[in-house]
Amino acid sequence: MGPLSSYFAFPDWLNMLTAFLIGTGFGFALEQAGFSSSRKLAGMFYGYDTTVLKVFFTAAIVALIGSQFLSYLGLLNLNQVYVNEFYLTASITGGVIMGAGFIMGGFCPGTGLSALSIGKIDAMVFVAGGFTGAFIFTETYPLIEGMATAQYKGPVKINESLGLSPGLFTLIMVAAAAVMFRVAESAEKKFARPEITNELK
Amino acid sequence: MEIRRKFSALLLLLSFVLALLPLSANRSFTVKPDKLLSEVLNEDVSFTVDQVAEFIVREDSTIQLIDLRSPEEFRKQTIPGAVNIPYHDLINTDPDIWLNNKNIRNIFYSNGNIEPDYALVYARGLGYTNSFVMAGGMTEWINTVIETKFEGDRITARENTLFEVRRRAGEMFTELNNLPDSLKTRFLESKKFSAKKLDGGCQ
Repeated sequence: MGPLSSYFAFPDWLNMLTAFLIGTGFGFALEQAGFSSSRKLAGMFYGYDTTVLKVFFTAAIVALIGSQFLSYLGLLNLNQVYVNEFYLTASITGGVIMGAGFIMGGFCPGTGLSALSIGKIDAMVFVAGGFTGAFIFTETYPLIEGMATAQYKGPVKINESLGLSPGLFTLIMVAAAAVMFRVAESAEKKFARPEITNELK
Repeated sequence: MEIRRKFSALLLLLSFVLALLPLSANRSFTVKPDKLLSEVLNEDVSFTVDQVAEFIVREDSTIQLIDLRSPEEFRKQTIPGAVNIPYHDLINTDPDIWLNNKNIRNIFYSNGNIEPDYALVYARGLGYTNSFVMAGGMTEWINTVIETKFEGDRITARENTLFEVRRRAGEMFTELNNLPDSLKTRFLESKKFSAKKLDGGCQ
């Protein structure tokens, strides 16, 4: 567990247990927030329900602020947090495919699994589609390898490429979130549809 | 005030505090791992001790030797013209302070090859293509340059040139390292400051 301790190697079972507990907690929170309903997720695209945006963005900025403070206090080594490598072409192409899948299926991978676990049939189809996509991707990888690895930018962070300090970038993100939430809420009023939360129970 | 407004205000306040804190921004490698690997394994990134000796004798101003050892080891014995940037300091501070001058070839060395090689991967990974290593480090320097001697009666012109360079570099090395401690410290300190001045702008 790199970011938590640089000196002690945790046994594998503890790593797996931690992942299991965090995953379970995440799935539970998703389900409780109503994200196991594809209608709630699709609401984001049609503007009648922007809970997804608010929940995920709030989680992101809380984690952003929390990790910066923990790092500043010497409790978390941010140098050891894995940063995904950035392939520009693959990110754009993957983003478009993911977005199309999200709006058609009504789930993102995490919420799909969350819905699957409570027995939603549409989620079963969605997850099967996801696995099919992964299979096709793997089988055709030699054909698309050039595109998948094009325009490599390294595990670069946004604040780094903009030349901003992490703290200033956090402030900008929080301010942007506040503005976005206001816009999202006015969109909810404009595109309002009948409340579906009770129907889900 | 409703709870979510309070929460938003708290987040804004905390992020404002963060913006004022002196957080160090870590930089990421921008070179693709396989390209970086082939780059650092290439012979072009490594200078032999004889090449370094020649740079020193010629007083080549386009190279900068960087001694990655601890300050104690550096004070005890060092190659003329080198600046001391302990490995730990190099990787834990902004390397731009030392490596940003693209017109200068930075040559890392230590006692052996391990730390300079790490430093080379680190520097080249961050895009400092002006980074090199001195193969073999101080051990090789002492064995080849300082303890050089020619055996036999005949010596070719090429060997003679090589020997002359080694002898001259060896003299400069001995001269510097035999200075009285107080003088040497003062000399090395002045080197340290001049290295910093490189990026000082118009002061």
